[in-house]
Amino acid sequence: MTDHEDKDMLAAEYVLGTLDARQRDAVNVRRGNEPDLEAAIIAWENRLSPLNTHYEAVAPSSNLFTNIRSRIDAEGIEIVRTVPGIADFAALKRKLAIWRVGALGSAAIAAGLLITVFTSDPVLPVADGKFVAVFHRDDTQPAFVMSVDLDTREVTIRPVEATVPEGKTYQLWIVTDETGPQPQSLGLLENVANPTTKQLGQFDPAMLRKATFGISLEPAGGSPTGLPTGPAIHGHLIPVAH
Amino acid sequence: MTTTRDLENLLKLSFNGDKDAFEQLYHATSAKLFGIVLRILRNRAQSEDALQDIYVRIWQKAGDFESGRASVITWMATIARNRAIDIVRRQRPEADIDEVDVDTLASTDTVFEEVARAGEVRRLEHCLGGLEDDRQQMVKLAYLEGWSRAELAERFAQPVGTIKTWLHRSLRQLKECLGS
Repeated sequence: MTDHEDKDMLAAEYVLGTLDARQRDAVNVRRGNEPDLEAAIIAWENRLSPLNTHYEAVAPSSNLFTNIRSRIDAEGIEIVRTVPGIADFAALKRKLAIWRVGALGSAAIAAGLLITVFTSDPVLPVADGKFVAVFHRDDTQPAFVMSVDLDTREVTIRPVEATVPEGKTYQLWIVTDETGPQPQSLGLLENVANPTTKQLGQFDPAMLRKATFGISLEPAGGSPTGLPTGPAIHGHLIPVAH
Repeated sequence: MTTTRDLENLLKLSFNGDKDAFEQLYHATSAKLFGIVLRILRNRAQSEDALQDIYVRIWQKAGDFESGRASVITWMATIARNRAIDIVRRQRPEADIDEVDVDTLASTDTVFEEVARAGEVRRLEHCLGGLEDDRQQMVKLAYLEGWSRAELAERFAQPVGTIKTWLHRSLRQLKECLGS
């Protein structure tokens, strides 16, 4: 069987749903970096989606949207939408795409992850010491959005993709000029279904402003070495408007 | 009745931050999406949790929808199905398959896509009809109910490797029959 046929069958079984959890996770990562796999998946979705007519509509509980609404209200995306000088999320995404090209390393592609580096735009007014960083997993989907309040020195990380591979955990890191090149752990993001807030009272606000933040995927319980061991994504802070 | 055009408009408004439009989109589509998730997860509370995640994701990904590639409802259904399958693969490696009545596969919902996609639906049903009975059932159990290779192996009393071979053969046959 050729590689092309292998990939087509992988896409077919992905869409059919018969791959196991590990294989699905792998495809979920690979499809962002392999256009031919992505195209094969879309083709199979188109072939099989007429089966959706077999699903019968069932009304969910009537109060469900209230929960969804409050989650949307609290979402990091909302913060992204308020970045000044950027009309909407589409514009921000386009901007990210441009930055990403410059920030892309082949090692990151090999690891199945894209690294997005944010540089703060000098025309953006700094408002109230509030900043945001977006951690991207692939072309379209932010994996985490982090908001930072330098006044209270609190960071809140909101997962966008609220899934974590079995037996793994996400860990937050910081690198600052003052603390040297080795990342310092800021702790685990234990519950990926909900925002995590961390107090960073030990860091000077000016130091936080220039810091690089990273989120890595680690074994459950956190990195065994005290340094990131799994694939990591990074973000710098950009200011947020009122 | 909400038309395809209406749904596209509501999704576009949602992308621009209009939460009331998103609520309308939710009310027009949530029963369909819930039907998908419930059928795969087979647990109401868990399905409602998943449905919330799915709509938060739809809100976030609204800008990714490309009209022309698929209808809004198909795009949303794909997100819902993917999420439900991801969950079920993590949580139900060895499910009790006896509780599922295969006869329920015959039911058909005509509310949504049927009119717009009547041709495609007929074509796929025709091609599925060309598969041997058990293979056809296998494809439907996998797609509609979220059955794993292991569950299919147990149901059809075959080794997992054989199931994989059968699935691949069936999928290739479908692809060829559909002519793409």
